[in-house]
Amino acid sequence: MYRIRFHGRGGQGMKTASRILGTAFFLEGFEVQDAPRYGAERRGAPIFAYVRADREAINERGIIGRPDLVIVADESLVPIAAAGVMTGITGDTVILINSTVPPDLWQNRLNITGPILTLPMTTEVEDRLEARFIGALCAGAAVRLVDVISLKSLKAAIGRELEPLGPEIVKKNMEKALIAYNSMDGHAGCVKEGGGMKAEEYERPTWIDLPFDEAALSAPVIHGAATSELMKTGLWRTMRPLIDYDQCNRCWWLCSTFCPDGAIRINDEGYPEIDYEHCKGCMICLANCPPHAISAIPEEQAKGRSEGGKKS
Amino acid sequence: MDETRFKRIKDLPSTHILGTGTAMCAGCGGLEAVHEVYDILGEKTVFVNAAGCMTLLSIYPFTPFRGSWLYTAMASAPAGAQGIRDALDILLEKKRIPRDEDMDVVVLTGDGSAYGMGLSATSGAMERNLDFIYLCYDNEGYGNTGQQYSSATPHAARTSTSKGPKGFPGYKKDLFSIWVAHNPLYVATVLGAEPLDLARKIEKAKELKGPRLIIALSPCPTGWDFDPSESVEIGKLAVKTGIWPLKEYIDGKVVHTKVPDRRLPVEEYLKKQGRFAHLFSPKRNDKLIGEIQESVDKYWKGI
Ligand SMILES: Cc1ncc(C[n+]2csc(CCOP(=O)(O)OP(=O)(O)O)c2C)c(N)n1
Ligand code: SF4
Ligand SMILES: [Mg+2]
Repeated sequence: MYRIRFHGRGGQGMKTASRILGTAFFLEGFEVQDAPRYGAERRGAPIFAYVRADREAINERGIIGRPDLVIVADESLVPIAAAGVMTGITGDTVILINSTVPPDLWQNRLNITGPILTLPMTTEVEDRLEARFIGALCAGAAVRLVDVISLKSLKAAIGRELEPLGPEIVKKNMEKALIAYNSMDGHAGCVKEGGGMKAEEYERPTWIDLPFDEAALSAPVIHGAATSELMKTGLWRTMRPLIDYDQCNRCWWLCSTFCPDGAIRINDEGYPEIDYEHCKGCMICLANCPPHAISAIPEEQAKGRSEGGKKS
Repeated sequence: MDETRFKRIKDLPSTHILGTGTAMCAGCGGLEAVHEVYDILGEKTVFVNAAGCMTLLSIYPFTPFRGSWLYTAMASAPAGAQGIRDALDILLEKKRIPRDEDMDVVVLTGDGSAYGMGLSATSGAMERNLDFIYLCYDNEGYGNTGQQYSSATPHAARTSTSKGPKGFPGYKKDLFSIWVAHNPLYVATVLGAEPLDLARKIEKAKELKGPRLIIALSPCPTGWDFDPSESVEIGKLAVKTGIWPLKEYIDGKVVHTKVPDRRLPVEEYLKKQGRFAHLFSPKRNDKLIGEIQESVDKYWKGI
């Protein structure tokens, strides 16, 4: 059975990728499961989708624990433990990362010996209009890496899944999927089916035993205020807004009022300050700043920079 | 009450009380409206929430609120509000809490609840003259479950359950008028992208006692298919094209609070959103665009 996981951020098309790949497997005569992993979090947050495909009926259920192929659409997710990119990876798992960093460097970084491939789609991630094609890119690459699906089925699957979006978008997705497919030529078929899991191999999760308490203790009541601030939604961001304080004319109400997350506060001098721990990178502030004092840079380049969010 | 604290945009609150770190999408127009409303209502607010995206604001043990929050079934938030109002009234009467610990009871639901499943409970609450505020964030579909169409979905919009070349065949329900027909104390439409208009209306509603109902149009990058940075611009276009009239009902009269001088053509609004892309490509659908324009023109002619 093939077990494949796609990791990305909400809005990057991982659900689409799994739909396309799942349908392509299906058209090829496989039994298929494909599902996005729904949680509370949304657009911009780490999410994943997965596909199981087998010639026989699939009895396995739930999230894929031991993947044969992991495709990462957004490299910034790799170090985020909560994104679970590295979960269950073995020496046989093929990892494909959307990155311009060479594979051997990734092997070093992650301290693993298993096969790592890269496919530079980075420009697509930065340009959010292009981001909608990442799903097709990932699916195209996956099809080549397993190499048991014909191009005809891949195309038919894209047509089926994306038809409501109109012929233009279908065409563009086909092109992108083919580019990714061809770029994996040198690795065709490198992903091998993992064996069936036996009941004995099942690893128990580490349970925490919670004693049965009275309702007053055990009911889910929150007594603290604004505890949501412990959630660092700044990790969702791929682009970072920067304020040029020389240009800011302290009109303050706009960026701070419009920011849906309330992540821009006004300091005592009337300058806005961005809370990067929580800014999700929607760029509403950038789009609405009258003197155009806000710009954006890719989060990758912003690492380690402190200016631009706080008036010094 | 004519005197407003919010004369100029600089009078808007410069600190925000809704906590950061919530699970809403980047660029969520609904969250924008909720945080602006909360700043005006203040911490002494109990939100009674029906299932929808905003349910995910409070996920145990995390909450962005500083007051209280209660979750109810999708159709019954106004009934939940009745229970809380009654409980607060009893506590006040028995002097178990002092007057200044009283709270505003605010129903917070999406359009799926407000325009559909929860309408009967809302009707009952108005009939009983319940002292509460209803805040509906209207993202024109069942956002939380993947944007299926709701009774608030506009004609021709693509949703995950109206994917054909003509989009949604139905028409958006006129909830404002349905609410007004009950003759409650106050009804208003607002928009996060028009924060001054919003602040004045919430300020007014807060001072009144009785049923006060607000609909906030909530541009939804995920469900409407646009880049999150355009949330505010798309909201403003809804006003400038006349698609989303900003108005209020008070003392038995409907008053428009912001009348666009010269309305922009509706397509300025439509073409920015993927959910209407089929109206423009592969072939422009003049008939459908014309129908939408006509219905907007007809509305404004009638006022
Ligand atoms: C009675 C009932 N039916 C269905 C659901 C599943 N459900 C959860 S949220 C949701 C969508 C609600 O739509 P809306 O009120 O517009 O809020 P939004 O998700 O758009 O924020 C649905 C259908 C439910 N919780 N309860
Ligand atoms: S789906 Fe729409 S309404 Fe729901 S959280 Fe996302 S942007 Fe907001
Ligand atoms: Mg909705």
